[in-house]
Amino acid sequence: MAEKQSLRMVLPLEQLSAFSLLLQQGVWLRAQIGCSVASLLTEQFGIAEDYIVERITTLFLDCRPIDDLETSYVSDGSTLALSSAMPGLVGTTMRRGSHLAAMRGDISGQVQQPVESGMGRIRIKLFNLVMAELGATFLTQGICLSNAELDNFLSAKDDIFWQSVAATMVGDLQIDPVSLVKYIRSADPRAEILLQVEFES
Amino acid sequence: MDKILRIDMSATGGPQQSTEKAGEFAALGGRATTSTIVAKEVPPDCHPLSAENKLVIAPGMLSGTAAAISGRISVGCKSPLTGGIKESNAGGQAAQVLARLGYAAIIIEGLPEGDDLYKIHINKDRVEISVDNSNKLLDNYPLIDKLRKEYGDKVAFMSIGTAGERLMVSASIACTDPELRPTRHCGRGGVGAVMGSKKIKAIILDDAGCTNRPPRDAERFKTANRAFVEGIRKHPVSGEGLPAYGTNVLTNVLNEAGGYPTRNFKTGQFEDASKISGESQAELEIARGGKATHGCHRGCVIQCSGIYNDKDGKFLTKQPEYETVWSHGGHCGISDLDTIATLDYWDDNIGVDTIEMGVAIGVAMEGGVIEFGDDEGAIRLVRDEVGKGTPLGRILGGGAGMTGKAFGVTRVPVVKNQALPAYDPRTVQGIGVTYATSTQGADHTAGYAVATNILKVGGDVDPLKPEGQVELSRNLQIATTAIDSTGLCLFIAFPILDQPETFQSLLDLLGGFYGIEMTGDDIVALGQKVLTLEREFNKGAGFGPEDDRLPRFFQTEKLPPHNLTFGVTDAELDQLYNWD
Repeated sequence: MAEKQSLRMVLPLEQLSAFSLLLQQGVWLRAQIGCSVASLLTEQFGIAEDYIVERITTLFLDCRPIDDLETSYVSDGSTLALSSAMPGLVGTTMRRGSHLAAMRGDISGQVQQPVESGMGRIRIKLFNLVMAELGATFLTQGICLSNAELDNFLSAKDDIFWQSVAATMVGDLQIDPVSLVKYIRSADPRAEILLQVEFES
Repeated sequence: MDKILRIDMSATGGPQQSTEKAGEFAALGGRATTSTIVAKEVPPDCHPLSAENKLVIAPGMLSGTAAAISGRISVGCKSPLTGGIKESNAGGQAAQVLARLGYAAIIIEGLPEGDDLYKIHINKDRVEISVDNSNKLLDNYPLIDKLRKEYGDKVAFMSIGTAGERLMVSASIACTDPELRPTRHCGRGGVGAVMGSKKIKAIILDDAGCTNRPPRDAERFKTANRAFVEGIRKHPVSGEGLPAYGTNVLTNVLNEAGGYPTRNFKTGQFEDASKISGESQAELEIARGGKATHGCHRGCVIQCSGIYNDKDGKFLTKQPEYETVWSHGGHCGISDLDTIATLDYWDDNIGVDTIEMGVAIGVAMEGGVIEFGDDEGAIRLVRDEVGKGTPLGRILGGGAGMTGKAFGVTRVPVVKNQALPAYDPRTVQGIGVTYATSTQGADHTAGYAVATNILKVGGDVDPLKPEGQVELSRNLQIATTAIDSTGLCLFIAFPILDQPETFQSLLDLLGGFYGIEMTGDDIVALGQKVLTLEREFNKGAGFGPEDDRLPRFFQTEKLPPHNLTFGVTDAELDQLYNWD
């Protein structure tokens, strides 16, 4: 799916939680693929190395917990989930470099050879504290979703959400919420749109 | 804690009480106390609901002191669910109050004649055991409301609901929280049925006029407690993740790992996991005026519990735990948090273990009683069948194993007849070792993430060695058994795992209180001693190596998405108890 349109919304920061389900389920991003997870997070997403070391202590690449971010590579269509440290035996076991990593040895991501590079799409899932702290950053950079997904997302929002929207623009055109929903529903449901959300604190 | 209260329910003329010196138990607590007494005094081959079984209630080594999060209470007996030894523990206020009253344990033995139902009222001056048949067939919430009118709000209650009275082997013992709600449960193993068999409906603990237990070395204890609290608060799990989202923060992570048992262990991922995650739950609780951060007892500095309100903003239940959300959620194909919270309320009210009940319902769904994903059907099964003691309700209340037999289900996730919790052992093989070999039956807390790396239990284990599974599980079970004896919440595991200075403050806390020097070796020795006693009890009850196994389907059915089976061999499992 090629990017054909963009939608920009301006919302107060307290509405970040309105995107919680979307962020947990995963959002698609355009990115340079074929790079290491470490490179993706720091160079492309601009996440500080200290933050990665201290906060993003649990990572899954295509459902596999990974221990070495330098030797784990993202491909076109990869899913990368980011989480802070988790409780419980299994939560501890899933941590990067956990001393209990043997307990999940069969599912752990293995050291890979670099994969083909180029532009592609990857899916990012954000959980718990990482979602609260990085969610706005990813949404501001822009996420890709189909018109059908966007319609589902917008249709589920209540009046409080819509009343808090400071501005909505499709491309360069300002649009009111009712017209926006009509516009999305009249578009090809499979066509992709870039959603960028600007949060005002 | 210098005394033990012994109550003989069989005594001629009605229950008799006696008090004895605590002796060796004065400096023990929790699981160490309950398992030692059960191993010493209960014939392993007795019927769990007979007069020969005993119900032992013990606060932890640090309960009733100013030590932070020291409010776990242990209940021990021969389990009517597993047939082996059982220690089941819970939060709430009971441990602190019982310890301040000076009791290292309450031992309830024998069975009374007749159908009278008793309550036990304990305060600093006396113990009163009285008949109160007006409490018959009351569930926990109405029972506690009634008892509050009689005994006031400055007490702690331990009680059974109708499941315990009906001797269902999934029955729990409820402990009230700081708001005097019966929300914290000694859930596992059917301890509520043992209390019910002894015709005890409620224990009222009143510590008016009592003070905190004084430490031997007040300054050392105070300094250690301050460092301990600081360590807990600064750790990202105990200081941030758990307070913000509760234990249900695990849903997304387990699902992402492909280890979230879904629709009775058919797959490892639930398509609606994010709808019932801790993140979604916390947002809903806050939006409805509840709380996503709340302590289950006074003195808790982690505050991983919460208040779950209904759509009208009225209290529905406490924040359901991860294992409850899983057992009633993904395991049953249910993705509505209100349904899960309603089931949690009914579990607490009737007084059943939320894991056993949820797993039993999932097995019943597999057997065709209702469809997977049937929200209303699941509520009806708990509220109207189990809650009313119908024949179907008694099958479900008999646990997942009984339910599987009743409906001809072959995929029944139990070990020693106790339902598996919310982590599939095909994805995380090490926890499968613990499920299989624990003296307690399948139990995720039997081998918790306690600091084996710091304790050096069994030396260093190479985390990359596949054969390390058994060694890791052994070490974790030993360390966890010791922590279960302190009365401290297991969630201290994370700061003491990562912060050696916090582990040292724990040793100093124990050392400062008892006036002794404790080392990691002492912790290990305690854990090994208690596990050995439990293992010997189970041997006497007829358990052998063939009982230290996972159900066969874990070895034959591949679990998507990783398509793994459980690969630890029987010979390896048999190596777990290698120190005796």
